[in-house]
Amino acid sequence: MQTDKEGVTGPVPFPDSLVENGRSVLAKFGYTHQETPYPREDYAEMWEVLKPDFPHRGPGDVPSYDGMSPAQQEAAREYMDQRLVADRRYELCSIGLQDLFEKGINTELVERYTTIRDAYEDSVEDFGAARERLQTLLAAE
Amino acid sequence: MPNWKTYDKGDELPAEYKKLLLNLMSFQGDSEYAGGQRVAENVQYAPRPEEAYRLNKKVFEEFGHGFYVWNIMQDLGVDVDSRLQELVQHPDNPDPKKVNVINGFRKENWSPMFECWEDVALFSTVVTPAAVAFLGQYRECSYKPWARINVRIHKEEYGHTAFGVWAAKRCVEFADNKDEKLEFMQNRVPKFMQMGLGFYGRPSKGKDASSMFDKYYEYGIKVRTPEQLQAEYLELMEDRLKGVGLEMPKGVEADYDMRVGYDMDEITDVASQSAA
Repeated sequence: MQTDKEGVTGPVPFPDSLVENGRSVLAKFGYTHQETPYPREDYAEMWEVLKPDFPHRGPGDVPSYDGMSPAQQEAAREYMDQRLVADRRYELCSIGLQDLFEKGINTELVERYTTIRDAYEDSVEDFGAARERLQTLLAAE
Repeated sequence: MPNWKTYDKGDELPAEYKKLLLNLMSFQGDSEYAGGQRVAENVQYAPRPEEAYRLNKKVFEEFGHGFYVWNIMQDLGVDVDSRLQELVQHPDNPDPKKVNVINGFRKENWSPMFECWEDVALFSTVVTPAAVAFLGQYRECSYKPWARINVRIHKEEYGHTAFGVWAAKRCVEFADNKDEKLEFMQNRVPKFMQMGLGFYGRPSKGKDASSMFDKYYEYGIKVRTPEQLQAEYLELMEDRLKGVGLEMPKGVEADYDMRVGYDMDEITDVASQSAA
């Protein structure tokens, strides 16, 4: 993480402006830079911007977080927690890329970047799997 | 398959072999990174959270492929850091004297192909199988370090076709009228198939033949003919299209002018590019 002159902290920017722009797309779905990502208690708020991930059969039939059954809420929390893990690892990718850009390409940094992006990729797969489990529960209603 | 002489890290390479090898390696390395940049532009079309996260995953993978190739180019005396700098500092119009980006991954050629998320999904369904076939041949090429990294790259490129099918099926799943959505997507398949067919270059024989293919093949730098790659591409693409519920269009011809592949007739002296 980096600190600006006013002491406000933020994520390490991607060296590539095209990738940095993607951060704003993730923000539409609730991504924010968190100094301390856990615990989060604003599940109901997070859920509202993540609901588009779930197909609807009619207007308003994807429930609010408060409108879910306890089992659905548990699955929804797991889904949202996985998203937070992916967000954290997404930010680590920017550090790996910044290192390569600033220090130059070498085997050690390339392999470190591979490890970082593998971890991000695993978290995206876990996010997808959690989405499928929740989708199954929502469809069973 | 012919029994080519192989080379490993540290081996002395014949001058002509090295020049041809670096030409193709630079096109792969530079274009993998530039391809990641183009994919990053497409994140704007992501309609849902998982789509955005998965497309970012693809961006990071493409960058990783570029780093693998660049890293082994360094062993052959190429200044690859300047290539990364050029692409990062001039993502929309990198200097062809400094990097070798295939035309299809240049912004002016790429961006007009994409108007919606369906296009993004179809690119990975229809064009990426061509990359899988084309790059897959390098796993067996005569320069062993390049062959080894392309085993890693091939596995992930193959995964990108699965992403395409997943994304395309989600487009249908979320559509109010699924038949209309499928028809909309079917109509967009040919423009991407033109790109895919152009990926592996001109035929190896006949009046349109590539003048360079025989040289690459003689050295085992390319190990499949364009005809073999086309057959492999069409089989994989048809399988992917079926997975979505789409059909293989008929009568589509390759767009070689896009030069999505890097079967260039002119050879760049890669070593001199870093000094440009």
